Amino acid sequence: MPKQLFAALLPLLVLAPLGAQAPLRVAAAADLEPLLPPILSQFERATGIHAEATYQSSATLTAQIENGAPFDVFLSADLSFPKRLIEAGLAGAAGPGDSAAPITYARGTLVLWERKDSHLLPPSLDVLRSPALNRLAIANPERAPYGRAAVAALKSMKLYDRLKPRLVTAENIAQAAQFVDSANADAGLISLTSALTPTLFADGSYFVMPRDLYPPIEQGAVIISKTGQRAAARKLLDFLLSPAVQAELAKSGLTPVR
Amino acid sequence: MSAMDWQAFALSLRLAGVTTAILLAIAVPLAALIVLGRGRWLAAVEALSTLPMVLPPTVLGFFLLVLLGPRTAFGRGIAAVLGHPLAFSFDGLVVGSVIYSLPFAVQPLVAGFASVDTALVEAARLLGAGPVRLVSSIFIPVARRSFLAAIVLSFLHTVGEFGVVLMLGGDIPGATRTLSIVLYDQVESFDYAAANRTAAVLLGLSVLALAAIYSTSRKRGSEQRA
Repeated sequence: MPKQLFAALLPLLVLAPLGAQAPLRVAAAADLEPLLPPILSQFERATGIHAEATYQSSATLTAQIENGAPFDVFLSADLSFPKRLIEAGLAGAAGPGDSAAPITYARGTLVLWERKDSHLLPPSLDVLRSPALNRLAIANPERAPYGRAAVAALKSMKLYDRLKPRLVTAENIAQAAQFVDSANADAGLISLTSALTPTLFADGSYFVMPRDLYPPIEQGAVIISKTGQRAAARKLLDFLLSPAVQAELAKSGLTPVR
Repeated sequence: MSAMDWQAFALSLRLAGVTTAILLAIAVPLAALIVLGRGRWLAAVEALSTLPMVLPPTVLGFFLLVLLGPRTAFGRGIAAVLGHPLAFSFDGLVVGSVIYSLPFAVQPLVAGFASVDTALVEAARLLGAGPVRLVSSIFIPVARRSFLAAIVLSFLHTVGEFGVVLMLGGDIPGATRTLSIVLYDQVESFDYAAANRTAAVLLGLSVLALAAIYSTSRKRGSEQRA
């Protein structure tokens, strides 16, 4: 029986790769997960190029690309990971004129988020100074761009040393939001993209952290050097930078760069 | 960052030790019930005890985060009893680990207890042995290697536990930052040298401990056979 089953499935294994043109493989930072799928559908309608995205933390994707993962484009949540790949000769020039720098396709926005039924006052900078704030969730500041921004903001406000024992660190920004949404943490410094997802938007309220408190969270893109689809990859980046898509990014919580 | 994190190492061992002790107290009676009991509902009990293997660990951790959190009566009750919420605490990790590693304690015990000769069990029963005596004098000594396997698997599975700790822990040094979290952080920060050292210590000590445990059980086994 297993032999027959195998014999029946064998043609499928052989034929499947012949079926279609290989899709454009996009390695995308986890914070893009709520907003990238519709953009990729629009891209396919506009150009006929089918793109498939894999969502992971930028650090994980970088390690995968360093070890030969078959991606064509990398959309990172910051600039340091794309730069690392460029320096290793694994990625290059996404921008016009083949400049050896990642192209910034959007900027991230840090917000303070609370549940609506929180015992704290509505989110504001005063909440961060409040003694009633017992647990503040942030993303891992060692590598998550929003975690880094959160620590920078707390340091700018001279609150970091006081709040350090009350910080709970999540692996990524989505998990930081879950710490707060499950009411285990009182508030969290998360991304505006997360705060605008339907569940969190319904459950809570947010305060946009003043931009002068933290260095800009620039999200960079690069084309992977060994891609066989350089032209299609460039088309996708041009599409991301087009006014219509940039406007869409703004609606989802990213700041347009154009 | 590059030095070996012995605090995390000690925390992992403590978590695994406490979890294993609690698991044995739960799993031995549970396995005996599954093997000795009659009735269809026991199949449901066995299925339920295996269920934690199905869920992705981070998802299990998320459900626990919600269940143990202040938004459920259960979570509020526990916080009132303990004086602090369970999430982001060592106690919370113990609860998560017990649930997460339950199948690894129950399954070897059920297999071991079930393989004990029924004639032996019947004879002991005729001599008036109750369930407690059956377990302590027949099941555990005869199914010694399964008992050992349950201990070893529960312990190691908890040491290697990642997803649940990640979700439920909040990465607090000395309380919830276990060695697997440190190791993951080192890999994600591209600190491969430190990751190699941490992994080598973990693997080396595990091999030593396992070899020690299995060699003692082998010795006793051969004495018995001789």
